[in-house]
Amino acid sequence: MREKLERLSLKLPLLPTTTVGSFPKPPYLIDARRKFADKKLTAEELKKLEERVTREWIELQEKIGLDVLVDGEIYRGDMVTYFANNLDGFKISGLVRSYGNRYYRKPIITGEVKWQRPITVDWWRFAQAFTSKPVKGMVTGPYTMMDWSFNEYYPNRREACLTLAKALHEEVKALAKAGAKIIQIDEPAISARPEELSEFAIEAMQVVTKGVDAYFINHICYGAFEFIYPEMLKLPVDNFDLEMSNSEFDLVELFREHPFTKDLSFGVVDAHSHVVENTETVEQRIRRALEVLKPEQLWIDPDCGFKTRTKDETIGKLQVIVSATKKVRERLSPAELKEVK
Amino acid sequence: MELLSASTGSYPRIGDRPEQQQHRQAYAQHERGEISDEEFEGVQDEVTRGVIEEQVRAGLDVVTDGQVRWYDPISHFARKLEGCEINGLLRFFDTNFYFRQPVIRSKLVRRESILKREFTFARGISKSVKPVVTGPYTLARLSINRRGGGFQPLVDEFASVISQEVRELAEVGAELIQIDEPAILKNPADFQVFEKAVQKVVTEKGDTRVALYTYFGDATPLYQKLLKLPVDVIGLDFTYSPKLPDAIARFGCEKELGVGLIDGRNTRLEGENEIIDVLKLILPAVKSERVYLNPSCGLGDYLSREVAFKKLQNMVSIAEKARKLI
Repeated sequence: MREKLERLSLKLPLLPTTTVGSFPKPPYLIDARRKFADKKLTAEELKKLEERVTREWIELQEKIGLDVLVDGEIYRGDMVTYFANNLDGFKISGLVRSYGNRYYRKPIITGEVKWQRPITVDWWRFAQAFTSKPVKGMVTGPYTMMDWSFNEYYPNRREACLTLAKALHEEVKALAKAGAKIIQIDEPAISARPEELSEFAIEAMQVVTKGVDAYFINHICYGAFEFIYPEMLKLPVDNFDLEMSNSEFDLVELFREHPFTKDLSFGVVDAHSHVVENTETVEQRIRRALEVLKPEQLWIDPDCGFKTRTKDETIGKLQVIVSATKKVRERLSPAELKEVK
Repeated sequence: MELLSASTGSYPRIGDRPEQQQHRQAYAQHERGEISDEEFEGVQDEVTRGVIEEQVRAGLDVVTDGQVRWYDPISHFARKLEGCEINGLLRFFDTNFYFRQPVIRSKLVRRESILKREFTFARGISKSVKPVVTGPYTLARLSINRRGGGFQPLVDEFASVISQEVRELAEVGAELIQIDEPAILKNPADFQVFEKAVQKVVTEKGDTRVALYTYFGDATPLYQKLLKLPVDVIGLDFTYSPKLPDAIARFGCEKELGVGLIDGRNTRLEGENEIIDVLKLILPAVKSERVYLNPSCGLGDYLSREVAFKKLQNMVSIAEKARKLI
């Protein structure tokens, strides 16, 4: 998809480096969010702090040398609830168990889902203003919004999903209008019920992306994408961002069998482990991916968002991604480079 | 024929009200070492009592202990076995809930009774408590086998463990034991292995009746095979299965039937008519003495406490109306 990137005037090196979306919140921000929930802090005061942290993360990403940046999602609690709170038609449930002693509040669709005004555009603009590198627009996808919400309003999952797709299409259009050229749709739930991919999940993604001139990335985590491969290649996006390091599955073998036809953001570090990988390990992972993918198809990133890591762990992992990628780039053979031209 | 209202399994252990935080707080205190094992067990007893009483208050004929003590339906059993370790979190089927995955290292041996004490306690509170046991096929399917030697021996060993559990539950007075086997629905090719495991599990049940419940998938393709299993009750999840009522009407049902028409994973309260219309279609085909109206799955890991109670109340009132159909 290098042609599309060029048409969008995105000048990216081979093997562009990026991240999945979220960065850790510093303790003072977590504290401030709690105070805001207890009404001991105003929305403006909280926003000031969120802006400060967002700006810091943009500067850090620049300094580390990533090619495509994210705003860090510092202003979000949870990727589904954040959008549910900003769309019409949702309420939030009582406490539902997630695992062990962890509970959360799950959105409930109680009425017609409608998009009223841009949700993430101001944050995208804010982040983009501090860098000349492209910042990705980040939207939670319709299938995940549907699957991770209760549904009291629509007669079935298909209708809920397709209506959400229409609402999120408005958000995607607004991001593109503001200038976002790379838009990531997060769909961690997409393999929940593999049969629904052809029944309506692909259609929903068509609704979201239709007529919007941007390079679309589709992030799928929590493994299990092998259940929807190769059919998922029909999703109308340019790039799949797949969680790999936590999967038992041998991706390379899978792609030998069914060639991967899109671009791939390859998760080379484990976002759920405290240990920072060494450069050689990450280099090897990238080389392994290059056995079945052309260099022009490949992007390099972590396997998931970093919101559960510390700041230092995050920085360490990002530095390894950048240094390993540089080494691989330097050693690409002239033949491989020529193929790209 | 009688129509009973029943619980399917777990029930929320905490709620949104300040006095409903007891379990969550004690859990955290226990993790930090601030309260002893005995103190935590005492809190779990008390919360279990509340959960049972709440189901009785909703008007249910058959209740459970709510599985208040279970970390999840898989590791609750696996952690009491030699030969396996408990690994990281994995999504439980296609739900919002995560379980800890067992990693099998060597031969599985049950170290101690798993459900006997908790069932004995619960039965002391209400005689209508039904113990629920995760089935051997599902336990094996959701484990990682790192010892080699194939899947069949692993299912066999889990089946031995679960048959011991069934025997003990029968000995301490369980009249009906529910075995949960959700995993078979997505793996119909394994039916022979599964069937063998079910046979093993029921060998020492004595006079106790056994219910086999499946959920989180469409049971229609396996319906006729499920009817042939050596169990007394078949429990089915109707929320995935638009064609299941027709299959039941067509093929009939010689066994008692657990009708999971109440969606255990959605907050929407079912309308009376949408349930009664399906019951009208399937009840004439059931040739056994009992039908249970129950949620499609346990409620504890999918709904808030307040909604779970409303769901059960609503189900009980629908069951009352439906009795007039019989």
